[in-house]
Amino acid sequence: MNTRWHADPAAVARYAGGELDEARTYSLEAHLFACGQCRALLSPLMEPEVVARVWSEIEEAVDAPRPAPVERFLRHLGLPDHLSRLLAATPSLRLSWFAAVGAALGFALLAARGDHAGLVVFLAMAPLIPVAGVAAAFGPGIDPTYEIGVAAPVRSFRLLLIRSTAVLAASLVLTGLVALALPRLDWTAVAWLLPAFALTLATLAVSTVAEPVPSAVGVALGWIVAVTLVGQLSGDGVAAFHATGQVLCLGVVAVAGLILTRRSEAFDRRPWS
Amino acid sequence: MNRSAHAIRQMSVKARDSERSDEVLLEAVAHRERRALRALYERHAPWLLLRLSRRCSDTTIVEEVVQDTFVAVWRKPRSYAGTGTVPAWIWGIGIRRLIDQLRHRSATVRRFPFPTRIEPSAEEEVLLGVEYGDLAGALNRLSPELRAVLQATALDGLTMREAGRLLGIPTGTVKTRLMRARAELREALA
Repeated sequence: MNTRWHADPAAVARYAGGELDEARTYSLEAHLFACGQCRALLSPLMEPEVVARVWSEIEEAVDAPRPAPVERFLRHLGLPDHLSRLLAATPSLRLSWFAAVGAALGFALLAARGDHAGLVVFLAMAPLIPVAGVAAAFGPGIDPTYEIGVAAPVRSFRLLLIRSTAVLAASLVLTGLVALALPRLDWTAVAWLLPAFALTLATLAVSTVAEPVPSAVGVALGWIVAVTLVGQLSGDGVAAFHATGQVLCLGVVAVAGLILTRRSEAFDRRPWS
Repeated sequence: MNRSAHAIRQMSVKARDSERSDEVLLEAVAHRERRALRALYERHAPWLLLRLSRRCSDTTIVEEVVQDTFVAVWRKPRSYAGTGTVPAWIWGIGIRRLIDQLRHRSATVRRFPFPTRIEPSAEEEVLLGVEYGDLAGALNRLSPELRAVLQATALDGLTMREAGRLLGIPTGTVKTRLMRARAELREALA
């Protein structure tokens, strides 16, 4: 840069010490953008430890692997870093999981747009999505951070609640969006919501005595049998989703919630490990 | 290779880095050359640290912002459009990171470390008069609040909204203070 004017070295030193008056500070700061020669005057005035410390932190950040998309998204939402990492390590909060769930919902939606029986399939399947998600969110064999979690000074129940809430929220949003495309936007578009809560809590409650995956499978089988039986007996496929069914689901939510709060310490003992 | 030969080679490598222009170094950073980032850091971290610490009194925040800035330079060297100078581009990243950092902190962080007016000596007053006309005196006589707004917009290149976020005041206040600052300067120069 060919600038003829250069800052007075004494003024630069006073600037570094915060003692230069405002007008000359403005002038100097504007000049520093354009003049490498005057910028270089500042380097020897810096504390070498500060320069070295900041550089070592830059190297560390540059060497660290980039967080996964889900983790970056969570951080962007303002979640603390450790919680974002914890949630991003949840198998059922990965993009691949969402893709699989989206595909399954898509097929169910196609069926539901076809005929009434298809609608029953959609309604029966939708509440099982958070169940599968929660089962895949913790437990040995699936959770990649399981071994770390066992040794971590965090209550397993707390970890479970954080992850289950996130999985449940993500599943409900996804399913809710797909349900908007159902042929008729009446009560059937939300009829799966309460069963979803009930089945998820039931799975967690059963997990206090059994491993998460078998618990989820058991709950899911029970659910499918119940929906089919009610449908067959009443002659109406969606009978299980009428008022009585919804009230029953509410009951399950209450009972399962009670069991969970009573037996929360069971997760810290990890009964299945 | 013996040690002195290695040392000589290291020195020549360093010398070559310091000869490369900012633009060339940025291009090398885009090719994942760590040494080029180091050279940019050595060249630009000192003034960035100083300039930011005149806008935020918390050295921990300032150091974090400088760190973030150079990590951003490493990740996206191509976002330098080549319009302004490289230092101006680096400053743009740095000051906006500082605004982000301050937004997440409580308002108790003292944003301006030098709120008191630093009076130039009588001799300097004369020199300043020679150098800048009455403008310098008028700038120095502005209240710290008015000066801060002028500095954030005119010198730091921030929009009024960004300036408001940096200073912790509403955008409307930035606007009125800027108008008052201009009026006072105009009056002093008239």
